[in-house]
Amino acid sequence: MFELFGTVFEVFMRTYPGFLEATVVTLQLTAIGVILGTVIGLVFALMKISGSKILQWIANIYITVIRGTPLIVQIMFLYFGIVEIYTMSNFWAGAIALGVHNGAYIAEIFRGAIQGVDPGQREASMSLGMNRKQTMQRIVFPQALRRSIPPLGNQFIITLKDSSLVYIIGVAEIFSLANREAAQSFQPFESFLVVALYYLVLVMIFTYLLRWYENRLDVDKT
Amino acid sequence: MIIGENIHKSFGDLEVLKGVDLHVQPQEVVVLVGVSGSGKSTLLRCFNFLEMINEGSITIDGKKVDPKKDNLTKIRAEVGMVFQHFNLFPHKTVLENVIEAPITVKKMNKEKAKKLGLELLEKVGLSDKADVYPSKLSGGQKQRVAIARSLAMEPKVMLFDEPTSALDPELVGEVLQVMKQLAEEGMTMVVVTHEMKFAKEVADRIIMIDQGTIIESADPENFFGNPQHERTRQFIQLVE
Ligand SMILES: Nc1ncnc2c1ncn2[C@@H]1O[C@H](COP(=O)(O)OP(=O)(O)OP(=O)(O)O)[C@@H](O)[C@H]1O
Ligand SMILES: [Mg+2]
Repeated sequence: MFELFGTVFEVFMRTYPGFLEATVVTLQLTAIGVILGTVIGLVFALMKISGSKILQWIANIYITVIRGTPLIVQIMFLYFGIVEIYTMSNFWAGAIALGVHNGAYIAEIFRGAIQGVDPGQREASMSLGMNRKQTMQRIVFPQALRRSIPPLGNQFIITLKDSSLVYIIGVAEIFSLANREAAQSFQPFESFLVVALYYLVLVMIFTYLLRWYENRLDVDKT
Repeated sequence: MIIGENIHKSFGDLEVLKGVDLHVQPQEVVVLVGVSGSGKSTLLRCFNFLEMINEGSITIDGKKVDPKKDNLTKIRAEVGMVFQHFNLFPHKTVLENVIEAPITVKKMNKEKAKKLGLELLEKVGLSDKADVYPSKLSGGQKQRVAIARSLAMEPKVMLFDEPTSALDPELVGEVLQVMKQLAEEGMTMVVVTHEMKFAKEVADRIIMIDQGTIIESADPENFFGNPQHERTRQFIQLVE
């Protein structure tokens, strides 16, 4: 047991400079994946509630396909489908894949949040003479946005972990470093233990930050 | 002020309103009563075009509304509605709730709207709550804000759908007081309520709806003293 601590510590000390760099890459992937996913998600959520059958149909196909296939397949598909055709870095291929993937999940988050707003809010707004657009913009969306913050935070955490799959196309994020370290050092157990700790610490930090932010939001308004 | 003629409304196979005729005179206060499911809320919602009638017509302030051609948004602004569950906007302060529609719909400038909003809050006794969020208010205070919010659009008629049913008993009085004051100022009102004391004191006319039709329409004295319909007698016994 004591021996294991020793070797893990030794691996940790040897690898942390590289890991810190890789952590930055992981966080960049995550941030781009979530931001891009939010933009895509917003567009598809609006399509789903638009009332236009065609737009709903398109959104449904997108969401079904993305949710029905593994992320790793989507990453490979995008990589060979796009990077090969347009010259794009592996990093961006991975980030876009994460964004496209998140888009489907975040679309559902937004749709759920919009539909979760009490119908009485819409009625009160309409009864005051506000039209559909004003009601959506000024009454429904602000409340829906508030409701989507906790699940969006959750999606951020999921993306942080999912970004590890981008190692498959050779992006130098945390997991790919651990993978290489494991192979080179003949200490796979210690290497993956160290990488697990990196993810765990990151997830705990962001979980804490998100909870703090949610609490701050709640103080006055709900 | 508001005239409904031969109003029919169905939800699927369920016919909820079966030919309702209701003429509400300017400055009149009409109280609607009836057992649960008789169609009271549906009638109010039709008057405000939150529901579209299947047959018949609605005339507001001398103008017959054509739901296909007329701008319903504009008509809704002229008919205020107060809901059982208040439906205040939780992300806006009390004052913002009140001035939202004047600013967005009437394009009133902010200063003028604020002045109007504060006057209305004063009227319902809540000027000290202008800057708090609705979650900090009691039910009675919420409903008074909702009334002020409706009044801000200067409606020609106010519809109330069980405005005190969601309140703790000790908070009912403050809301009824505000409504009574409105009635005295000459507001045209249609009120669905189970508060029979309010009906007796404030109503010009009490109307009993039963299974989607009006079966009794009389001033309070006659409604309670000399009901014509058997179902009305049963109802009166039930509430007294
Ligand atoms: N949107 C709707 N879709 C289907 N049925 C509805 C809808 N709204 C109301 N109903 C039905 O219409 C009938 C009358 O409802 P309404 O709400 O008008 O009754 P009410 O007299 O206001 O009753 P309560 O005292 O319980 O509020 C009920 O049977 C109700 O289930
Ligand atoms: Mg009702």
